[in-house]
Amino acid sequence: MFHWLEKNPFFFAVGVFVVIAYAGIVEILPDFAERARPVEGRKPYTVLQLAGRDVYIKDSCNACHSQLIRPFKSETDRYGMYSLSGEFAYDRPFLWGSKRTGPDLMRVGNYRTTDWHENHMLDPTSIVPGSIMPAYKHMFNNVADIETAYAEAYTVKKVFNVPYDQPDMPKLGTWDEAQKAVLEEAKPIVEAMKSQEVKEAYARGEIKEIVAIIAYLNSLK
Amino acid sequence: MNWLSDNVNLLSLIGAAAIIIITGFVAGKYIKQMKTDKSTGELTGDDWDGIGEYKNPLPMGWAIMFLLTTIWAIWYFLAGYPLNAYSQIGEYNEEVQAYNDRFESKWSNADKETLKQMGKGVFFVQCAPCHGITGDGINGKAQDLTAWATEDFIVHTIVNGTKGSNYPLGEMPAGLLDEESAKAVAAYMVEKISKTGQSKNPDLVATGEALWATCSACHGEDGKGMEGSAPDLTTYGHAEFVVEVLNRGKVGVIGNMPAFNDGRLTGIQKQAVGEYILSLTE
Ligand code: HEC
Ligand code: HEC
Ligand code: HEC
Repeated sequence: MFHWLEKNPFFFAVGVFVVIAYAGIVEILPDFAERARPVEGRKPYTVLQLAGRDVYIKDSCNACHSQLIRPFKSETDRYGMYSLSGEFAYDRPFLWGSKRTGPDLMRVGNYRTTDWHENHMLDPTSIVPGSIMPAYKHMFNNVADIETAYAEAYTVKKVFNVPYDQPDMPKLGTWDEAQKAVLEEAKPIVEAMKSQEVKEAYARGEIKEIVAIIAYLNSLK
Repeated sequence: MNWLSDNVNLLSLIGAAAIIIITGFVAGKYIKQMKTDKSTGELTGDDWDGIGEYKNPLPMGWAIMFLLTTIWAIWYFLAGYPLNAYSQIGEYNEEVQAYNDRFESKWSNADKETLKQMGKGVFFVQCAPCHGITGDGINGKAQDLTAWATEDFIVHTIVNGTKGSNYPLGEMPAGLLDEESAKAVAAYMVEKISKTGQSKNPDLVATGEALWATCSACHGEDGKGMEGSAPDLTTYGHAEFVVEVLNRGKVGVIGNMPAFNDGRLTGIQKQAVGEYILSLTE
């Protein structure tokens, strides 16, 4: 019946493609159409949070930490509600990670706070005896790269229509407005911190990396 | 030969032996056939670089299986998978529901000792990262629970005030009373309001009662907190008070404790961890 197919590699390849593509349509497209949409109430990251996210990537936190809670009771007991694909809609790139040397951080904002992070990032073993997480003292010196974060947000807004500047969504605005907004957002975090160095830098209008990454970690909910 | 007494090992061995023997026979048969067989039959006429193909009809059984599989595949692609796919989330929900029901019915009347043991486990996972493994607050980074909710701590609270759990009345100001009067109020509170036991200063209870007016402005004459305007002090020193702290969180003088109201802990677990941390002061 399909004898002629065997003699026509081109049409044979087309046939194979159609069969496999059908499986793709059934399995992948419904997810694209529905489940990968942002879940209700999900908002894109603010510029300060994005700057913190960049620090997270730069310092390879994702080498040791996952951000994906699987639907197993043992995980939801410890970390909270399992992850939905729509929760990653604004993650570019996503930071699911592949290895848990440390705990999952998908919802760490629910159960850790600014002051805890400050102590922990400065010296993990001072809080968790025997912790093998490295200390990130340099984050208290380095200044966060707000400009790149703004450029990132601006780009995804223009290219992917990420809903900045829409009702109930984070405001992006112009570069000047964004800088003001970042300082405003950083304020409560700096106030909750103890480090004199960070506070002085803030008074000069500088935002240290530690402030940005705490803003990011607090936003993980 | 102890391991031969295990059924699975024995069966595996017999199976392995059978496979070797059958393989030997089959291989022998085909090797012989290759030596003697001559190819006969009608060719299809196709010629792939010198390799031809016989006109063999499809074996019946194979053809039927192939057709059935095709029909099944069409059904599966069009209806079977899209309409009733396996849902991991669904299974998770059912499992957790069943587990929680069992948990609830098993522990709803647990005694104090059992709760304390359960609370210890909860504490190590959820609270120890901030309060320390012993509950000492890790050098002032969080509340020292080994000295919390005691009579002395009430004195400390009255003298220094407290804030951060988002009650309608806001903060409790520092310096409501001096240390001596505070001791008296603490004695009264321990014996008459929260009823956690004997006061260290029983002779001060009467003085404390007279001074209670300072507190009743916010906490109410009976200490019940005037319908949620301020903490209900009749539960102070009991697990219920801890449950309330967990539900509200606290952004206090020491630091920021998150609320535990995202479903990670059940009511019973909160009660349990309350019993456990209160046992730390004993
Ligand atoms: C070498 C692996 C490693 C790296 C890299 C690493 N961590 Fe960790 N992290 C751990 C381990 C192990 C723990 C658990 C012990 C502890 O709490 O210190 C942990 C714990 C944490 C926790 C506490 C989570 C909880 O549930 O208690 C946070 C928050 C955290 N890390 C953030 C970070 C951030 C942010 C970075 C990047 C700047 C980072 N980690 C990099 C290994 C790592
Ligand atoms: C101005 C109102 C006000 C007055 C007066 C007041 N309180 Fe309070 N009290 C509060 C509020 C509000 C809180 C909850 C604070 C918070 O958000 O954690 C509180 C909390 C407490 C707590 C719980 C502390 C903890 O560790 O959570 C105790 C114990 C207490 N008060 C005792 C007293 C006593 C004893 C007096 C009388 C000397 C008194 N209060 C007077 C408003 C008041
Ligand atoms: C992210 C860190 C953190 C975690 C996790 C945490 N706590 Fe706390 N907790 C604190 C801090 C900080 C305070 C001190 C708040 C203040 O008064 O400034 C505190 C205070 C308390 C108090 C005293 C509240 C009062 O009214 O005075 C209790 C009780 C308590 N925690 C119990 C728990 C229990 C039980 C758990 C675990 C289920 C827990 N905490 C988990 C940080 C934490």
